[in-house]
Amino acid sequence: MPTSTSFSSVDTALRLTAIALLLRPMGPWFVRPALIAAAALALIYPRALASARLWGAVALLIAFRIADDWPLADNHIYLLAYWALAIALSLRGAAPPAALAHNSRWLIGLAFACAVLWKAVLAPDFLDGRFFRVTLLTDPRFGEAAMLIGGLSQEELVANRRALSPLPEGAAWQTPPPIVETPRLRALARASTWGILLLEAAVAVAMLASAPAWIRHALLLVFCLVTYAFAPVAGFGWVLLVMGLTQTSDDDVWLRRLYVATFLVILFYSEVPWAALLLDVMA
Amino acid sequence: MTIGRTVRRPPLAALLLIAVALAQVGLARAGGLTAWKGGGFGMFSTLDHGAHRRVSAVVEAPERSEQLEMPPSLELLAARAASLPADWLLHRLAEGIVARERRRQRPVSRVTLTVWRTEFDRATLHANERVLRAYVHVVQ
Repeated sequence: MPTSTSFSSVDTALRLTAIALLLRPMGPWFVRPALIAAAALALIYPRALASARLWGAVALLIAFRIADDWPLADNHIYLLAYWALAIALSLRGAAPPAALAHNSRWLIGLAFACAVLWKAVLAPDFLDGRFFRVTLLTDPRFGEAAMLIGGLSQEELVANRRALSPLPEGAAWQTPPPIVETPRLRALARASTWGILLLEAAVAVAMLASAPAWIRHALLLVFCLVTYAFAPVAGFGWVLLVMGLTQTSDDDVWLRRLYVATFLVILFYSEVPWAALLLDVMA
Repeated sequence: MTIGRTVRRPPLAALLLIAVALAQVGLARAGGLTAWKGGGFGMFSTLDHGAHRRVSAVVEAPERSEQLEMPPSLELLAARAASLPADWLLHRLAEGIVARERRRQRPVSRVTLTVWRTEFDRATLHANERVLRAYVHVVQ
C-alpha cells in the first residue's frame, strides 16, 4: 500500500485522483474546502492516501455537490463519485489492487456502454450527423476545429451562427440564409460521428468482456488522447485515466508512465489554446 | 456469485452507476431531462442541451404584463428548470421571481414560465424553437 516512496499503480492512481480533485475544485462552500483539504492530505500523508475513510468522505462530499444543484452536475462528477466510493470499498478489502482494477473495468465499461446507448439508440440527432454538423458550426469551443480541419473562415463561422439562430415557434424563413458547409467540414462531422461511436463501443466491449490488457489500455489511451484534444472536459479524461491506471500491474513501468504522460497531455490540452495557435501559425 | 473464471458480479459502485443511469433515461424520456445531465452519460450525443434550451418568464398583475429578463440571481434556478422542466423546479423559479418582484415593490399576481427547446432541421439544419413545457404560477 502507498508509502512516501512507493510508486505502484495503485499509489499513482490514488495520487492522480487527488490531483484531479485539486485541479478542478468543485462544489458549494460546505463541500469545496473539505474536498480540497482531503485531496491535499492524501498527497501529503501516505496513511491518508490509503485511508478508506478519507475516500469514503470524498465520495460523500461529491454526492452532496451533485445534490446541491441537481441536475446540473456534469457526468464525470458522477463517475468521480463512483470512483471515490470504489476506492473506499476496495481499500477495506483483502486485495485492494485487484478490487480497484475490477471496479475500474466495470465503471469504464458501463459509462461507455451508456454513452453508446444514448448515441446509437436514444438520441434522435446523433447518427444522422446533425449533432456534429451543428456543434462544429455553432459551438465556440469547436470553432477552431471547424476552421483548422473543416476549412471554414472566421467570417463563414459568424454567418453560419447567425443563420442557425432559432426562429420562434411557427415562424419560417421566407428566404433561408445560406449555411456554409465545406466538404471537409461534412467529412469531419461524419468521421467524428462514426469514429467516436465505434471507439466508445470498442472501449465498452473491451472493458466489460475483460479483453486482453493491451487492447483495453490501447483503446482507452487512444480515446483520451483524441477526444480531449477537442472536448473541453479534461476532468472526464483524468478520471478515466486514473481508473485505467489501476488495471496495470506494478511491473508495467512504461505503461504506467504512459498513463501519467497522457494525464499531463490532457492538462496541456485544457490550458494551451493549441488550435488557435496553429491557426495563427498557418495564417 | 461466480459465473465464469473471469466474470464476476458487478461491484457496488457499478450497480449504483446502473441504477442512476436507468433513472436518468426514465427522467429523460418521461420528464424532459436533457440527456447531457443526470448521470446517464448522454453528453455529446444530442443537440438538446443547455445551450439550446431556455426559460422565458412573463409576469402579470392588474395593469401589468411584461416579459422578464432572467436576472443573474435566478440564472442557476433557470438553468436547472431548463435542464429538467419538472413542476418542483419551475415552482422554485417562479417563487424566486415573485420574491424578487416583491423586493422591488412591483405587483405580481401570476408568473408564466415557458421552457423552450431549439430543434434543427435534419436536412437544412435551420433552427426553430419549440415549447417543451409551459407552467403557470398563481401567487397566493
